[in-house]
Amino acid sequence: MAEVEETLKRIQTHKGVIGTIVVNAEGIPIRTTLDNSTTVQYAGLLHQLTIKARSTVRDIDPQNDLTFLRIRSKKHEIMVAPDKEYLLIVIQNPSE
Amino acid sequence: MFTDESLETVGTESSWRRSLQSVQESRSCQTRPLHTAEAIVQAGHYSDSGTQTDAQDSSGEYHEASGDHPGLKEFLDGVEEMIIKELIKNSRSHAFDGFEVNWVDHNETVSCIHRLQHPDAQSRGLQVTSLSWSCTGSVIACAFGRVDDGDWSTERCCVCTWNLDRRGLDPKRPDLVIDVPSAVMCLAFHPQRPSLIAGGLYSGEVVVWDTSRTQDSILAQTGMSADTHREPVYQVQWVPGSRRGEMDMLSAGSGGRVLQWRVDGVEGRLVLASGFALVRQQVPMINTISKARGGSSIGITALALSPWDPDSFLVGSEGGLVLKCAFSSQTVAAAPPDGESVTLRAPAQFCFSPSSGPVHSVHCSPFHRNLFVSGGTDGLAHLHSLLQPEPLLSLRVCDSSYVFVVRWSPTRPLVFAAATGQGLVQIFDLGRRSLRAATTIDQEAGGKPVYCLEFNPRQPHLLAAGNADGTINIWQLSADLTEQGPRESAQLEQLANEVAD
Repeated sequence: MAEVEETLKRIQTHKGVIGTIVVNAEGIPIRTTLDNSTTVQYAGLLHQLTIKARSTVRDIDPQNDLTFLRIRSKKHEIMVAPDKEYLLIVIQNPSE
Repeated sequence: MFTDESLETVGTESSWRRSLQSVQESRSCQTRPLHTAEAIVQAGHYSDSGTQTDAQDSSGEYHEASGDHPGLKEFLDGVEEMIIKELIKNSRSHAFDGFEVNWVDHNETVSCIHRLQHPDAQSRGLQVTSLSWSCTGSVIACAFGRVDDGDWSTERCCVCTWNLDRRGLDPKRPDLVIDVPSAVMCLAFHPQRPSLIAGGLYSGEVVVWDTSRTQDSILAQTGMSADTHREPVYQVQWVPGSRRGEMDMLSAGSGGRVLQWRVDGVEGRLVLASGFALVRQQVPMINTISKARGGSSIGITALALSPWDPDSFLVGSEGGLVLKCAFSSQTVAAAPPDGESVTLRAPAQFCFSPSSGPVHSVHCSPFHRNLFVSGGTDGLAHLHSLLQPEPLLSLRVCDSSYVFVVRWSPTRPLVFAAATGQGLVQIFDLGRRSLRAATTIDQEAGGKPVYCLEFNPRQPHLLAAGNADGTINIWQLSADLTEQGPRESAQLEQLANEVAD
C-alpha cells in the first residue's frame, strides 16, 4: 500500500501543514504524522464535531450532506474531509 | 608365533548383595480387563494436489495493512485533490488578515484591584520580601521581613495569606497570620498541595508550614543542625523529589550552598537528601572572564528551575555571576566539609558573562527552552540564551536604581515584567520595535523599592507586587499584555536563534 503512504506524504509536505491524521468510522486514528497524545485528542474531538456538523446540515435540508469542514483558529486552520468510513484531518498554519 | 588364548574367567561373589536381596519384596497389580473394539475405514475418493510459493518481494507487509482498512486507498484518492486545492488556497489567501474575534470583553487598561496590608507589620516598618501564589491561584502569601537590615535580628516577623476569591475579603486583615521568629526572605507554595508553604529565613533555617492545621502550622523545619545553611536563605523552590509523586525542597543561600530537603511530615523534620556547594575555584571559565577577587564561596541570590530540562538549574550570585548548573553533576565540591550528612557536589557547568553587581533574579522562559532573563543591580534586564555567554539583548529598566525581580509572562511568549528600586514595575514587550517598556505601573508606594513580583499561574491577568512599605498591590493587566498574538512563538524562536556563531 505504498500509494496510501505516498498520498499522505504529498499532503503532508504542502506549505504550512503541521499534521495529517486519518481516522476510521469509530473515531480511531489509523494513520498519523503527529505524536500519540495529540493524535488521540484531535481524532476524538473532531470525530464528534464532524458527526454534529453533518447532522446539522441534514437537519436543515435532508437532501443535503456535509462535504467539508474547516475550523479557523487564531493559530491554525483544521480541515476535515468526511466520508462514510474514514475521516481525513489536516492541520495547517496558513500564515507561514 | 601368536596364537589365540582363552582364559578362564575369574569372578568374586558379592558379599552384600545377597543380604539386600533378602529384604526385597515383589508386588504386582493388574487393571480390570480393558474393553477394546476394532473398526476399519477406507476413503472412497482420492485426489492429489501440490502448492509452491513464489519468491516474495518486501512489499508483502503493506498488503496486510490494506486488508485491515478496506477502501482507504479509494477514499484518499477521492479526497486528495480537494484537500490539496484548499491547502494551496489557504496559504495564498488574505481573507483573514487582521481579523480578530472578541470572545471576552477586553480590558484596555491596567488597574489595581486590591491593596493588601497588614497594619501590625506596617507599623513595625517591615517590608514585603517575598510573594507566592498558591497552585489554585486564589490565595496569595506574603512574607514580611527586612532586606535593608544587614544585621542579625531577633525581631519577630510574619507570613500572611489572603484568599482573593472570598467574598468578605478585607484588604487590611489577612486571613491567616503565621508568626515567625526571624525574618522570612523567600516563600514558595507547593505546586500541587494548596496548603503547604515553604519559607527560607534569615537565620538560615528552612520551614514548611501547613495552613490547613489550626494549631501548630509548622509541618517540618530544618532546625539548627549541622546540615542547615549558616547564612540567610534567599530562594526556596519545590522540585520533583526522588520518590514518585513527592516533591522535595531546594533552598539556596548566601553561604554558597544549594540544598535539597525531603519533607518528613511524620517527624516534623526536613531531611537533607543531597546538596551542592558553589566554590569559586570550581566554576568553569571564571578566571578568564572575571578579575574580581573575593572569598572562595559564592553567595547565591537567585535560583531558577528550567521547565524544559529537569536536570538543569540556573543560579545568580552576589558577585554578579550567572551559572548554569546540573542536578546530576557528580564532582565533589572543594568546600571544606562542615559536618554535613551528605557529600556536597559542585554543580556548575557553564558561566555566563558576569554583571557588575549582585544578580537579584533569574527566570527561565516558559515558551522557549534556551531563553532566560536576568536582572541585577546594574539596572538592566539581560535576555540570555543558554547557548552563549553573552546576552542576546540588554534592556534598560531604570536609570539609577536596581532591578529586583524579573518574571516572564505565563501567557505571552514575548512579554516579561521587571520590578525596580524606584517603585515602578516595567513590562517589556519584545515584539515591539522600541526598547522601552510597553507599560509602566507605578506602585504608589512613595518611591520605595518593589521587592517581589509574581504572575498568578491560574489567572494570568493578575500580577502581584510587594513594596518596601509593607503593602502589596494586585494589578489586573490589560488584554494586550495577556492575550497571545498569532506569531509570537515564531518571533521568540527567531530571537533565540540570533545566537552569534
